[in-house]
Amino acid sequence: MLQDYLFPETVNEAVSFLQDHEGQARIIAGGTDLMLDIPEGKIETNYLVDISRIPELREITMKDDLIYIGAAVTHNQVASSELIQKNAAALAQAAGYVGSHQIRNAGTVVGNVCNAQPAADAAVALVALGATAEITTPAGQEYVPVEKMYAGVGRSTIDSTSQLVTRVSFPVAQKNQGTAFVRLHQRNALALPMLNVAVMVTLENGRFLWARICMAPVGPGPMRTLGAEEVLKGAEITPEVIEKAAQAVLEHANPRDSALRGSKEYRTSVLPVLVRRALGQAVVDAGGPSN
Amino acid sequence: MSLKILKFTLNGDPIEIAISPDEMLIDVLRDKLELTGTKKGCGKGECGACTVIMNGEAVNSCLVPAMKASCAVVETIEGVGSTDEFHPVQETFMDMGAIQCGFCTPGMIMSAKALLDRNTDPTSKEIKKSLAGNICRCTGYVKIKKAVQAAAEKMREKQ
Amino acid sequence: MKEYKVIGKSVRRLDAVEKATGTAGFTSDMKLPGMLYGKVLRSPHPHARIVSIDTSEAEKLPGVKAVATHKNTSRELFNTSATMTFTVPPMQPVLDQYIFDNVVRYVGDEVAAVAATSEKIAEAALKLIKVEYELLPTVYDPKEAMTTEAPVIHQCEMKNVPGEVIQIPFGDVEKGFAESDVIVEKEYKLPVVKQAQMETQAAVAQVSLDGKITVWCTTQTPHPTKMILAKLFSVPESKVRVLNPPYIGGGFGVRIGCSAKAEPIAVALSMLAKKPVKVVYSREEDFIASDTRHAGYVSVKLGAKKDGTFHAMHLKATLNGGAYCSFSVETPGVLGCMGLAVYRVPNQFYYGHSAYTNTTPAGAMRGFGNPQAMYAIESTVDMMAEKLGIDPLELRLKNIMQVGDPWVLPYKCGSTGLAECIEKGAKSIGWENRGKLNKPGAKKLRGIGMGVGTHVSNAWPFCGDYDNAYVTIQQDGSVHLASGVPDMGTGTSTTLPQLTAEVVGVSLDRVSMTLADTASTPFDIGSHASRALYAAGTAVVEAARDARRQVLEYAADLFKVAPERLVLEDSVIFPAGQTAGDDCAGSPVCTIGGKERKSITLKELAYDAHQRNKQFIGVGRIVPENAPPWHAHFAEVEVDTELCQVRVLRVAAVHDVGKAIHPVICEGQIEGGVLQGIGYALSEEIKYDDRGRQLENSFHKYMLPTADDVPEIETGLVEAHEPSGPFGAKGVGECGLVPTAPAITNAIYNATGIWFCEIPVTEEKMFRALKEKAGKTV
Ligand code: FES
Ligand code: FES
Repeated sequence: MLQDYLFPETVNEAVSFLQDHEGQARIIAGGTDLMLDIPEGKIETNYLVDISRIPELREITMKDDLIYIGAAVTHNQVASSELIQKNAAALAQAAGYVGSHQIRNAGTVVGNVCNAQPAADAAVALVALGATAEITTPAGQEYVPVEKMYAGVGRSTIDSTSQLVTRVSFPVAQKNQGTAFVRLHQRNALALPMLNVAVMVTLENGRFLWARICMAPVGPGPMRTLGAEEVLKGAEITPEVIEKAAQAVLEHANPRDSALRGSKEYRTSVLPVLVRRALGQAVVDAGGPSN
Repeated sequence: MSLKILKFTLNGDPIEIAISPDEMLIDVLRDKLELTGTKKGCGKGECGACTVIMNGEAVNSCLVPAMKASCAVVETIEGVGSTDEFHPVQETFMDMGAIQCGFCTPGMIMSAKALLDRNTDPTSKEIKKSLAGNICRCTGYVKIKKAVQAAAEKMREKQ
Repeated sequence: MKEYKVIGKSVRRLDAVEKATGTAGFTSDMKLPGMLYGKVLRSPHPHARIVSIDTSEAEKLPGVKAVATHKNTSRELFNTSATMTFTVPPMQPVLDQYIFDNVVRYVGDEVAAVAATSEKIAEAALKLIKVEYELLPTVYDPKEAMTTEAPVIHQCEMKNVPGEVIQIPFGDVEKGFAESDVIVEKEYKLPVVKQAQMETQAAVAQVSLDGKITVWCTTQTPHPTKMILAKLFSVPESKVRVLNPPYIGGGFGVRIGCSAKAEPIAVALSMLAKKPVKVVYSREEDFIASDTRHAGYVSVKLGAKKDGTFHAMHLKATLNGGAYCSFSVETPGVLGCMGLAVYRVPNQFYYGHSAYTNTTPAGAMRGFGNPQAMYAIESTVDMMAEKLGIDPLELRLKNIMQVGDPWVLPYKCGSTGLAECIEKGAKSIGWENRGKLNKPGAKKLRGIGMGVGTHVSNAWPFCGDYDNAYVTIQQDGSVHLASGVPDMGTGTSTTLPQLTAEVVGVSLDRVSMTLADTASTPFDIGSHASRALYAAGTAVVEAARDARRQVLEYAADLFKVAPERLVLEDSVIFPAGQTAGDDCAGSPVCTIGGKERKSITLKELAYDAHQRNKQFIGVGRIVPENAPPWHAHFAEVEVDTELCQVRVLRVAAVHDVGKAIHPVICEGQIEGGVLQGIGYALSEEIKYDDRGRQLENSFHKYMLPTADDVPEIETGLVEAHEPSGPFGAKGVGECGLVPTAPAITNAIYNATGIWFCEIPVTEEKMFRALKEKAGKTV
């Protein structure tokens, strides 16, 4: 049962509190997911360690060609950040789709990743951006690709009773790079995605230099589709190539039958459409041709 | 469970109240402080009836641990306008048919106010996005959106 | 035309200030001294017998003050809906529920309840109640429920059919089809949808030590609810007071009668605990354990002559009534009557009923069977138009009901502005562009469709309907109105005072209203059936006229003229032909306060009367007729054939409301209804899993439209004077929902060439349909 609610002032203070309380204390940021799980008994903890007031975690910064998003930065801050819009349109768009305006004002992008929902919008975008998470423990810092933070459906590799993801980072976009995020949902707010897709492309001389395509929920977490990425590598930017890549994603995609959010068959059939549309947008974002 | 002292600013007044750390802001407001203007439509962040403004941002008070309000500035519907001078959003809601049963209204007004506090010239898309977390089952939102637009205009005129 | 001073004007609603400031009173906000909190234990099984129930551990938990089960509560059979109080003989109301029973019939059915000093303790106590269930066989589909293999859910004359089958013959339908040149026949499948009003079911009950019961609650029908509770708890009705406090966070039919079981459970717990008890349903409880709209099957067979004249129609409905009857007898009745009332068809037949299943009970929801009927009929009419090669709009104009036409209803069709609604709506949507919206090869297809309909303006003949009101002139000449009807958001607390002010002859700010309180208002059957303005309003007009008559009679004595010669306007009384303050020698004067006066204010007169021991109390007692409102809806949609998604771009909704007493309120009713109709057509649905559990049980899962999903909605009002309504007004509350779904599905057909005979048209259904179509064309 919850005994105390704390506001540490530094990251160190937060992680040492976790360490001192050996699994009885847990990190809270926005709390928009956690505060549903605790009353339902899905999660029990004695102490909530609120990191939302630690100054260094509240910032979006750029340093040495990397953009950093602190653990206390909310979805709306990301969605409305010019820096993010310019360098990672996919992430700004993804963050703008989460829940509702109120939820985006409280919930954080890093929390979206740590909560490990299979189709977490921000996480899908971060994987496409090739983002890395900085994990702080009393022993120091570790760096893990966001892509590797899923341990199973709804399970994160992060243990919020002993670890704190302090920030995520990804490279500043080059001129020839572009990203996009598309989402299929039953209504425009307060809805989980039936499918979401984020892509990042790098173009050169009318060709794809490389691309990253991430989609969900087609597996336990956001999923890269290497076969489709391979199709694009070095290929000319044409509708045919894009279509071929879009079809290739099906090799990896394994959406479930969901009584609430569409059958496997339906989702499988529309996934390439989303990938195609996302690639088209990303090409435009990278300064490539629109068609 | 030991009680904690929660201090915050509520509608301009300093508040100091003993709560248990697992209480949610909505319950402290409604049950302890008897400010029942903030409504509970779902208790799960899915309807916006409980919307309050915390440090300038609209949030679902049913998802906010009350402790998160410590040292914060919180505004509820009770702190918006007065019968001497209603807030422009209240005025336009009242006069343009944006209120039917009234159960969504306080939350809706808080969301609209939070938007207009920062931007008195929102696009219709911004209005939609800002209000999409507030379910209204009565009005079809048509008159609500118009009322927010009209309130924005009033506020621009005043500036 | 007479110039009105108060009605017809969109004044600021009288409840606006309270609602805009958060000070309006709702049941869920109430707190009484010593109040306990009630929580309900619900069945996890769709059908089971309770073998044993042990509440001893729960009772021991500190803070628990009462535990109620079938063992210690009323064994009176009842029906949570108001049907049990106003079913018209020879029909008999179906009484098939106890507060708690030893059999549970759907997931969410009430098993026990706890009253404790806090909600948390009450919830903890629920977990300590041990229940042993013996599972029983289940059925979820109404057609299956009527087969011999299906389990019996309640003993009925016809297997699992509550009440009786409604049959409405009109002309000779067999002959009609034989004489028809073209026949179209289709069956439609309808989903379970939910009112999803914003305030969940709630009640606060206080039982005084001398046995009087007071219940503040969310009911749409305080007086009938009082009758239900009196019977259930064997207390004289005079000792039961039911009231709204005074507002309700929406209704849309979900609480015509009790607010699910919030009132009975709160009263039962309060009797046991001898303390006030508050029961507020969680959103999940509201979703799974309070009435839904009837799902089921509606089939239409329509026959027409070559020239498009409709000649025969057979309409059939098999509705899913869920686990308890609620309004499952009346709903198929309204479905049939409304379905048969829109078009002039000389030969018609309707056959309809509900069937019990192990799902959440179905009851009243905005439109009450009519949206089900009109989705089916309006789809069929479009199919007929296509078969005949006639424009669907023309086909409708040719066949719609006209004033004085014979029809199935026992009241007259006294007015219709439907043709005008159709014309205006067509113009607004750009009907002439229909069929010209798509470029060849486009992946996003646009289409335009329409639907029309009618409805009622009160509840008779589907149940008893009469109404009463008091209009009392206060000693200072201000006016008090008492009406039993609630305001669940539809504006009655504004429009009824508007009627009062207009009739008495005072400004609106001189009128106040007490509403929805059985202790201080006369009997009224509640806010439903689009009746509050029409039926309660008729009583209010009657009471206001009575009060005015008394005022003028009193004044006539003073002026020494016949009362008919006097005018009462803006709270001033003066002889006709003379305006207040006129110096007109020789005209009648009255002597008041020793002075001769040519006019006198209502304030002075009322005080004069007061000093002579008299008050003016107007009483209205009426039995309303009924009247058809009419409406035509047009929708433009865009179908993304790649993603299989439908988006509504625009809706034009034009309604014949009789006289619009408050035009903005009328529009608001329509807009709200339209959006619910869009949800009905495209996204809203509660499905069940194989264990009888409701899959959509929260706002997050139940896909009602948000502010970011609203298309352009253009409303138009047509005012075809209705002789039987107050100032010519008729109902409007439910109408916006009625023809919306078919306007959308017809537009989808126009875009894609696919008829959808099952709603909602979800992505999944569109995907299957497009696939099937592609399969056919290859
Ligand atoms: S009550 Fe908080 S969002 Fe519904
Ligand atoms: S006015 Fe009733 S829910 Fe919005």
